[in-house]
Amino acid sequence: MLRKLQLATAASLLALAVSAPAAQAATVVTFWHSFNNAGGEALDKIIADFEAANPDIDIQGEYVGNYNDIVAKLQAAIPANRGPDAVIMEVTRYGLFAEGGVLADLTPYFEADPLKDDLYDYARQIGVIGDKNYIVPFNSSTPVLYYNKDIFARAGITGEPVLKTFDDILAASKTITETLGAEGITGIAAPGQFSRWGLVMANGSDLVDAMSGEILLDAPRTIEAYQWMASLVHEHKVASADGVTEEDNGRDAFLAGKVGIMMNSTGNYVGSRKALGDKLGVLPMPCNPECSVPIGGAGIGLLASSPKDVLDAAYKFVSFAASPEANATWFAATGYLPINKKSAALPVAAEALASQPGIDVAINSLPYAHGRARTEVVTWMRTTEYDMWQAMALGTAEVEATMKKFAEDTRAEEARLGSQ
Amino acid sequence: MSPKLTPYLLVLPLIAFIAVFTYVPIFTSIDLSVRSWNFMSPTKPFVGFDNYARLFASSAFWNSLTVTAVFAGISVPLRLGLALAIASYLKREALSSRLLRGALFLPTITSTVAIAVVFSWVFSTDYGLANAVLGWLGFGKVPWLQNPQLALFVLIFINTWKQLGYDVIIYIAALQAVPQELYDAAAMDGGKRMQVFRRVTFPLIMPTTYFLLVVSVIEAFQVFTVIDVMTRGGPAGATDMLVHLLYRTGFVLFDIGTGSALAVLLFVLLIALALIKSRVIGGKVHYES
Repeated sequence: MLRKLQLATAASLLALAVSAPAAQAATVVTFWHSFNNAGGEALDKIIADFEAANPDIDIQGEYVGNYNDIVAKLQAAIPANRGPDAVIMEVTRYGLFAEGGVLADLTPYFEADPLKDDLYDYARQIGVIGDKNYIVPFNSSTPVLYYNKDIFARAGITGEPVLKTFDDILAASKTITETLGAEGITGIAAPGQFSRWGLVMANGSDLVDAMSGEILLDAPRTIEAYQWMASLVHEHKVASADGVTEEDNGRDAFLAGKVGIMMNSTGNYVGSRKALGDKLGVLPMPCNPECSVPIGGAGIGLLASSPKDVLDAAYKFVSFAASPEANATWFAATGYLPINKKSAALPVAAEALASQPGIDVAINSLPYAHGRARTEVVTWMRTTEYDMWQAMALGTAEVEATMKKFAEDTRAEEARLGSQ
Repeated sequence: MSPKLTPYLLVLPLIAFIAVFTYVPIFTSIDLSVRSWNFMSPTKPFVGFDNYARLFASSAFWNSLTVTAVFAGISVPLRLGLALAIASYLKREALSSRLLRGALFLPTITSTVAIAVVFSWVFSTDYGLANAVLGWLGFGKVPWLQNPQLALFVLIFINTWKQLGYDVIIYIAALQAVPQELYDAAAMDGGKRMQVFRRVTFPLIMPTTYFLLVVSVIEAFQVFTVIDVMTRGGPAGATDMLVHLLYRTGFVLFDIGTGSALAVLLFVLLIALALIKSRVIGGKVHYES
């Protein structure tokens, strides 16, 4: 018995001694991301495929939560030097980290990478601040207009609805609310922040000019867009106030078949398709009069504090994640935009395009999709915009006065940040 | 080892723990309150009282202060009054009293996040239980968490419901400690119920009331979790209390300096309130010798 124990122990030690060097040879890259459910599974597959092709690199993906959760965790991790090596960063909020020296300058990697010629222009531009590249796009999106075909039919709107202008959307929402309101069904979900930005752009304006950084919160067309959006809730009552204070409530109500129209990221496509099946219709965002949509989503940045060999390994993964095969897998599993020109031709993407109607709406919006400003003040502006929006949508504050004060405060904050 | 040294060595681990996790953060916070830092920058330049000046000039700060004061001003008397009334009934040693005490104390030991999530659903305007019940009774939907006037009262209700059990248990202990002879003597003197309560019971439980007053005011000023989960300070700042503003300033807007200044102001405010309570009420507290 004792002899057997001795042999077993010796064998274990030998196995450990053999495996330890092999394990130590792999470069470990910690990667914080914000994907669970379908997105998480797709990302796990991409990681597994990368590791199969690169056995000397071990990607440790960790689901941290949403974009805000990742930032909150980074705040504790960075001063303690316990940050990840790679991290998902939302496209309008990484500027602060780039300018703070947290994110590594990826320009040398990117310039040497053939990938850059395969990316769409919009994708290439997402990660650039000044003349440096800080993130590589991963999950890019634009807002699209989802609608429930069954609700429209029951409201007497047959065929594909015409929802090209604000007036079209309001008219349809009113019809739905008046016809089916007794069943607890409302016409439209209160637009979330990403969609609000899209509606401002559709109205021919912007919140912050993407090129010059000029604050446009008090521009007449911006104010007009907010007046229309707020009127959906407090004046026309075609959108529930529940979705104003908690944006996910509007999405959840749509997925539960209680709302006729929802404007949301194309990244919600697969989840919406699973919830509504053939009842789901997808249309482009309105053009009122302009056709213009913001590009959202996130990219992968690398932390400057990581050692060189880890950065090299991490960039290899980041580049792989943007490759045609990985990007096609990602697109088919989630509905996020293809960022690589070669992705759409691959079988998995082609099958998704053929079998999932509406998944191509965001792709067709790309000719008029634009990146958004990512200056330091954008984080402050986006955080404060929620309070402003709630006050206007719930009817407790007048839109024009609120937006003018908001613009003034944003410019003051921009000046303060610039003076630091 | 010297016998004189032994006691100090025995308390040293606890002192070290308190120093590291309480006093070091306090002094670091005071230091950061006069600096400008976004947690990423390697430098933290000294800016004097700029952070404090910006707070005092900020409408968000005054709004938070008002909201917090209203919250505390309503929830504290409500909690203590309800707790005393319930404790008066539950101080009897009966099976039903013990079961009710347990039921009342359950929310106190339940996760605040779980409570907040459940009540978010209960008070949902379109699909919540509260409006469903109102619907059955023939009333229309109430925008509980979307009406700026109502949302704060919903949070007061939830916080009171959660903390009540703790106050009741403390009051029961205090009421049970009042000597029965005093009640017998009062009965012999013909004292009516309210007279006995005012002249015998209330003065004798004043130390407990004072303790609960201090604790509940501090707790009211530090409410955060239920706000962050249910309303995030909305609608339109109607529930944006001081600690939530502190969190948003420091950890969402990356202005650690101003967030720390707010933390220092909150600390000073609570000390001031404690001193005021001590002066106004402390003299009326009689401790049995």
